[in-house]
Amino acid sequence: MSIEELDHTADAKVRVKAGTLEELFSEAGRALMQVMYGRPGKDGRTHPVMVSGDDLESLMHAYLSELLFITEVEGLVISGADLHIGEGIVEGVVMGEPFSMEAHNAGRGVKGISYSGLSIVHDQESYILDVIFDV
Amino acid sequence: MTMLPGVQRVGEFEWQVPVGYIPGMRVPGLFFLSEALAGTLEEGAVKQLANVATMPGIVRQSLAMPDIHWGYGFPIGGVAAFSLDEGVISPGGVGFDINCGVRLLATPLREGDLGKRRELVERLFGAIPTGVGGKSALRLSNRELDRMLLEGSSWAVREGYGIDEDIRMCEQEGCLKEADPAAVSQKARQRGMPQSGTLGSGNHFLEVQVVREVYHPEAARAFGISQGQVCIMIHCGSRGLGHQVCTDHLRILEAATKKYRITLPDRQLACAPIDSPEGRAYFGAMAASANYAWANRQVIMHYTRKVLEELYGVAYKDMHLVYDVAHNVAKMEEHLVGGTRMKVCVHRKGATRAFGPGAPDLPAAYSSVGQPVIIPGSMGSPSFLLHGTSGAMEKTFGSTCHGAGRVMSRTQAKKRLTGREIRDTLGKEGIIVKAPSDAAIADEAPEVYKPSMEVVRVVHEVGISRLVARFEPLGVIKG
Repeated sequence: MSIEELDHTADAKVRVKAGTLEELFSEAGRALMQVMYGRPGKDGRTHPVMVSGDDLESLMHAYLSELLFITEVEGLVISGADLHIGEGIVEGVVMGEPFSMEAHNAGRGVKGISYSGLSIVHDQESYILDVIFDV
Repeated sequence: MTMLPGVQRVGEFEWQVPVGYIPGMRVPGLFFLSEALAGTLEEGAVKQLANVATMPGIVRQSLAMPDIHWGYGFPIGGVAAFSLDEGVISPGGVGFDINCGVRLLATPLREGDLGKRRELVERLFGAIPTGVGGKSALRLSNRELDRMLLEGSSWAVREGYGIDEDIRMCEQEGCLKEADPAAVSQKARQRGMPQSGTLGSGNHFLEVQVVREVYHPEAARAFGISQGQVCIMIHCGSRGLGHQVCTDHLRILEAATKKYRITLPDRQLACAPIDSPEGRAYFGAMAASANYAWANRQVIMHYTRKVLEELYGVAYKDMHLVYDVAHNVAKMEEHLVGGTRMKVCVHRKGATRAFGPGAPDLPAAYSSVGQPVIIPGSMGSPSFLLHGTSGAMEKTFGSTCHGAGRVMSRTQAKKRLTGREIRDTLGKEGIIVKAPSDAAIADEAPEVYKPSMEVVRVVHEVGISRLVARFEPLGVIKG
């Protein structure tokens, strides 16, 4: 599994690699936290998550948008997720720690998850996600 | 000089992207750029300009200002008008930060009056919540939020966050009448409620500036600006509420794109006919978010005035709002198209309205010179005040640039300089910077942006707005 921040002039573009789809979604959430807070959270609390979508890209878009909502409204800095990915649905729980101004101030606010440039490819070994966060 | 293949020069600063550059273009693309800026142009941005040209009902051209750069959906700096009967409305033409915009507050203080500068910056930083997780002192009920979404600036003024004159000094008097709070989801409300009156992060800032040079004395007089005067520039938007509205409606409009059998080269351009249930719902929610942003900037300006009142004894009413402009918005406007006046839906994404003399919706005092156009520089670089022109009405649906435009990615920027180094360098130039962390500063170093002077020179030379004054920063608070 890996998270890499790629060059993008205006926004934050990240590439996430994982062996399974479940791991890809979990790592994508950590990547979002890394951009927003400078690092992902630590385990402690949990929060349920469920989103739907027509295809894999829509599911990822909906999932990351939901995480953006949860982190902002619940003040949860997400560390990972325990997810089940079914036909057009992702459900499970995300883990994380409460936001604190002192510990989580090394990132930048993400306004939204862009559909432009969102892609998920699957080669023989892994799933690769490219996604742009509007910052 | 080098220009991307397929792009044609049609004027000293004008470049055309012909129909056929990508399949499905209905109109050509046109952007404004100087030779000095040509090297900063990204192929992705030109592709996005061409993508917009494929959208149904687009009128005349897909346009981009000289701060054009690679965004999502529309390029940043993109402007496009759509006919009301055949055209579409798209969140990709507005962006996540609906009515991200800027306002300029003029004070009666001169640069020499500004003692206690560090204390001023500290006090402003203390008074205005900034950064990721910054929470407001405002406690809004759902009903109060509804009023804010319906009324924008005038809600804030009625609640005691300003004076009546402020309302007239906002584009559209700080309120889009088409706002529909019912189209704003509960989620958007939950995000928006604790954030009203907060600055946010990224390129949002509040800057203490001095008018360093006046280029157009008559217009400067009309705007109440003179050399050596201290002004405050506030740059922020609709916070999580607007971001969630964009996210929610993008999903609805993606389904609508299929329903109305619209073919698009980019999913972020998801759209619906303007007069469809989905199009109307987005427009109503977007207008409500725009009103939230106007109220937000009004509240932040109020906190600023209070600090200046306390620290320097300046009377609240003697600090006048020069103007407030929106950078990310879609609006119904009348424009001359092929010799006929026509109502169109103008999308501006990272672009500023620049209505010329005699245009509707201008305060009486500005009617003879055109509206003030406020162009923020990047942190530590000059900002500019311009005025709108008849040239903009003819060429760009009354639009001009919105800022400098980035040229360097955030990852590259952070490799070059640390936040602390940037803060120290600016400090040596007499610019005090206050942010929640050094990381926030490292992202926004002056050299990661196009030179703001060159961007502004292009719009001035093309005549889509004309220079009035240049401002230099003395202190910055940023999120």
